[in-house]
Amino acid sequence: MIRRPLLSLLTALAFLIMLGPVVILLGVAFTAGSTLTFPPEGLSLRWFAAALDYQPFISSLGTSLVVAALSTVLALALGVPATLALQRGLIPGRGVVENLFATPIIVPELVLGLALFQQLMVGLQITALATLVIGHTVLLLPYAVRVVGASLALSDPRLEEAARGLGAGPLRTFFQVTLPVMRPGIISAAILAFITSLNNVPLSLLLTGPGVSTLPVEMLNYVQSSYDPVVAAVSVLLLAASVAVALVTERLVGFNKVFGR
Amino acid sequence: MTPVVQLESVSRAFGRSRDAVAAVSDLDLAVPRGKFTTLLGPSGCGKTTTLRMIAGFVQPTSGRILLEGADATKTPPEKRNIGMVFQSYALFPHMTIIDNVAFGLRARGLAKTEVTARAGEALELVGLSALAGRKPGALSGGQQQRVALARAVAIRPSVLLLDEPLSNLDARLRVQMRAELRRVQRETGLTAILVTHDQDEALELSDHMVILNKGRLEQEGAPRDVFPRPASRFVADFLGYENFPVLPGHGPVAIRPEHVRLLSSGEPEDAGVTLEATVTNVTYQGSHCVVEVNANGLGDGTRLLCAHPGEAPRPGEAVRVLLPAAHLVTLGEDAEAAR
Repeated sequence: MIRRPLLSLLTALAFLIMLGPVVILLGVAFTAGSTLTFPPEGLSLRWFAAALDYQPFISSLGTSLVVAALSTVLALALGVPATLALQRGLIPGRGVVENLFATPIIVPELVLGLALFQQLMVGLQITALATLVIGHTVLLLPYAVRVVGASLALSDPRLEEAARGLGAGPLRTFFQVTLPVMRPGIISAAILAFITSLNNVPLSLLLTGPGVSTLPVEMLNYVQSSYDPVVAAVSVLLLAASVAVALVTERLVGFNKVFGR
Repeated sequence: MTPVVQLESVSRAFGRSRDAVAAVSDLDLAVPRGKFTTLLGPSGCGKTTTLRMIAGFVQPTSGRILLEGADATKTPPEKRNIGMVFQSYALFPHMTIIDNVAFGLRARGLAKTEVTARAGEALELVGLSALAGRKPGALSGGQQQRVALARAVAIRPSVLLLDEPLSNLDARLRVQMRAELRRVQRETGLTAILVTHDQDEALELSDHMVILNKGRLEQEGAPRDVFPRPASRFVADFLGYENFPVLPGHGPVAIRPEHVRLLSSGEPEDAGVTLEATVTNVTYQGSHCVVEVNANGLGDGTRLLCAHPGEAPRPGEAVRVLLPAAHLVTLGEDAEAAR
């Protein structure tokens, strides 16, 4: 029973555009043939085995995870206090400061990458790994500020006053009231930031050095020289990892549970 | 006996110095111990700012605030021993009800057994012991506000501050919660200050009411003294006096519609002012009619409203209207105009 044919059609189209490439990717990854073709020629796991055997993928995955973890932690460490100040403090020119935190989204990543490359790697001789972490932190900061800010904006600003009135000092108020209230926001910001970092190409492309490369960059390199389904297999593994992270967090913290509903 | 809370010419302005707006101007106040005091006024009259200054969330621009006789102007909120109840309840969403109520006791570093005993006692006072293990999100608005009240009372504050605590509740619940507030205040013997814009709430609850207008004190006293004798046009208007005629020989007066009487022909006149008038409009209200008349002797446009219980006259009819002397209130100037 379709009551709105046009709306249904558009919805179906949207799903097709979103999920179609994923379906194709899945097919290609499990192919038994040796080219990137769809539909797959038979089923096998040989390309997954090949991917796990390819040393550059394994070592760059290590780099990617380290960079994603460190830059997520750093972006939150900088972003959470900034958000608190923006939302609860009295900051002159609040709107301007808030918009400044969005600039890394607006500035093309290649520009940011080039600037960091020149200033940090060439100018200050900082290692590729450290520069990657710094670059990704800059990239993730807007997400941290926005997502944590949104959760804080939804909570009652009187909560802190209630705690203070009941005799809790500023520190106790922060750790027992403000921080727990922000927890769902911090967790979703962390997931979003981690996945964003893990998938980033443009910034990483300019900040990788000899022997230090992230997985997406390494995948790009691979595609440029070879034309086999190994890359599809790696993509499926990345996809599976991302979905797993999202599902596990949802189960562990279940945002609804945090609010006690 | 020292008042629990004293304000000495307290002012508070918001905004930058040049275009600052005074929320509270030169306010003197003494809050009597063990009594229920209300700060009453329309929005923007400075009542909430006053309460927040007493709590310590807002600093006065000038003046002093004394708690228990000691200067507390600069004391941070957590050292003031106040129990505050907010309009939005402000329960901690991640804690159970009992942990909410125990929060202030734990912050005071009390022994575990005492925390449990006093939190349980406070929750029992508002009749919600059965919900101790729930989270606030699982409770109705009325229940949440009772938890907030228990949380504030549990710390045995020297003053209970209530910031429009009933405004978010529906009309029926609001009336129930009024009685609940009054009962809890009586049983605990706490000094309470309630901020409200609802005159019925103030009349029902207060031992002492303070009416504010544009940051200044208009009138204060017991409801029984203030209600029949408003000192200014502002207070009269706010308390539901709707007629403000200027009578020859009396000057400006105020009288409530339910006290204006329509005289039937031949009825003897009581003491008061009798006016010849023409009916201009009649509105049916169930238990009575509101009859709008234009008084002939008072110049154009002196409109009077009269709540008339009997059969209403028709528009255009000539009537005689009696303003009984016992109900005529002679008005002084508004506090602001007097300056």
